[in-house]
Amino acid sequence: MIYKLFKIFFALSIFGGSLFASEGGHNAALPEVYMVAPFIILLLMIATGPLFYHHFWEKHYPKISILLGLVTTVYYLLILGDHVSLVHTLAEYLSFIALLASLFVASGGILIKVDKKSTPMLNVAILLFGSVIANVIGTTGASMLLIRPFIKVNQSRIKPYHVIFFIFLVSNIGGALTPIGDPPLFLGFLKGIEFFWFIQHVWYIWLPTIIVMLVIFYLIDSRNKGEETDKNEYTGKIEVKGTKNFVYLLIILISVFIDPAVISWVPSLAPLPFGIREVIMFTVVYLSFAYADKEILRANEFDFEPIKEVAYLFVGIFATMIPALQLIAYEANLMGDQLNVSVFYWATGILSGFLDNAPTYLNFLSAELGKFGLDVSIKEHVHAFSLDEPVGHAIYLSAISVAAVFFGAMTYIGNGPNFMVKSICERAGIKMPSFFAYMAKYSIPILIPVFTLVWLVFFYGKG
Amino acid sequence: MRTLEDVLKNNVKGLYYGNRVILPFEADILKIVLDSMIITDFSSLSDDAEYVINEGFTDVYFHTIDAIEDKISEFESIKFVLVEKGEDLFDFANHRIISASVEENHKLIIKELDKDILFVE
Repeated sequence: MIYKLFKIFFALSIFGGSLFASEGGHNAALPEVYMVAPFIILLLMIATGPLFYHHFWEKHYPKISILLGLVTTVYYLLILGDHVSLVHTLAEYLSFIALLASLFVASGGILIKVDKKSTPMLNVAILLFGSVIANVIGTTGASMLLIRPFIKVNQSRIKPYHVIFFIFLVSNIGGALTPIGDPPLFLGFLKGIEFFWFIQHVWYIWLPTIIVMLVIFYLIDSRNKGEETDKNEYTGKIEVKGTKNFVYLLIILISVFIDPAVISWVPSLAPLPFGIREVIMFTVVYLSFAYADKEILRANEFDFEPIKEVAYLFVGIFATMIPALQLIAYEANLMGDQLNVSVFYWATGILSGFLDNAPTYLNFLSAELGKFGLDVSIKEHVHAFSLDEPVGHAIYLSAISVAAVFFGAMTYIGNGPNFMVKSICERAGIKMPSFFAYMAKYSIPILIPVFTLVWLVFFYGKG
Repeated sequence: MRTLEDVLKNNVKGLYYGNRVILPFEADILKIVLDSMIITDFSSLSDDAEYVINEGFTDVYFHTIDAIEDKISEFESIKFVLVEKGEDLFDFANHRIISASVEENHKLIIKELDKDILFVE
């Protein structure tokens, strides 16, 4: 299987470009293989920048991302003469950033205070609650909402494993049931997968995984006796401030469906690269910030920086990944039979851990469709692929959906909220493990055995 | 000499200019949390920050940033764990947690850390 993984990773360097493929319903020339370089450079810099050249990266990442994105844009416009792929990608980017920004700002205006004594059972309850609501307000929203109360509850006995299990469950694994849950699934939804497809096909994998993770957490947390030295008195009250923002969250949730492709009477704003859904979401960003309680924002130490970072980085990612998506789809079409469910699960998972899981998911969705002679950029193809259960496509889609979301927890860079949670904890004065210590002490010993079990039970030998 | 108690009671404001923060009292600083940086090394070899206790005020220089106001939003603060000059450094009761947030005209609002703002030492 390792051979097959390598074959996928390096397929692009074996086969050449310059052939013709169908893209977005129009005939477009395949890009040359070297045009994947901006994408690879950007992803490598995202992985290494915050760790090895932090100050340079912090100062220059917007310019780097835009510049690399421009390389691909100019290539498509001037060399390939293909503006359709660019317009499609711009529309997807705007949808993606509208959802993330609206969830981020709306949840940033809510403050939850839990004045209860920390116990392993209370922590399990918070993590379970976070895992469930991650599917309603996104892993980003759930992480923003719950990380402060979670730290506050555990103030007398906080250890890095508390935060790390929070990242595992609330910031990643929890959000596998809906497109709102995690960015990769939202991209899948934008490409044509039905909204409720994920909950129908993933819940039976999600539930046991969550239970196993919570049991492991409970066992570890039960050994932490810090609570016995906690002499503070607690009222047992849970206080929620900024409840009007729940209305904004509901509006965001409803607006996800306001798309001409989902509801036929919704007008399209074409040729504009956004729709009514995005207008609603950006309006929520404005209103929920402009009318937020400033005291709550102060208590949450609200800052636009995390969402600004995502917006800048993803403008580059979306642009530079166009050639990779098209080439992978083409190569997967050729390699077809050699790619089975296990290969898709592990390849998506491993790459999602180290690269951003959203573009990784799209790459492998593209590869899966390519294997069956379909095209990821044609919405009807993706929709048909997700519905075609008798042929056994659903297991392929389940494998990459589960892997992209679950393995996002493997590193700090696997998923957007991971770094945000780390950053909030550090601002709170908690010393978090380094990039490599996170993997060596937590994600490899805990997550890899659990994910292997998931593979053996649900995917091994299927498809 | 102005004490930390005077500063808190009379709402005396500190100052910031570029990467320099001026606290209007004398203190030994044990830890600073700025953005996601946790700074505990204030030696001359430190890449992050150093502080100098002067007559009546304490200077803090952040080496890795150009302007404090670009680094933290109006809702964020710099957190200091410090001990006022003259107090016993080794008595934990003397460790004070102070937040400093930026205001217009180079003013720095200094507060003993609000319970609502999260800080785990």
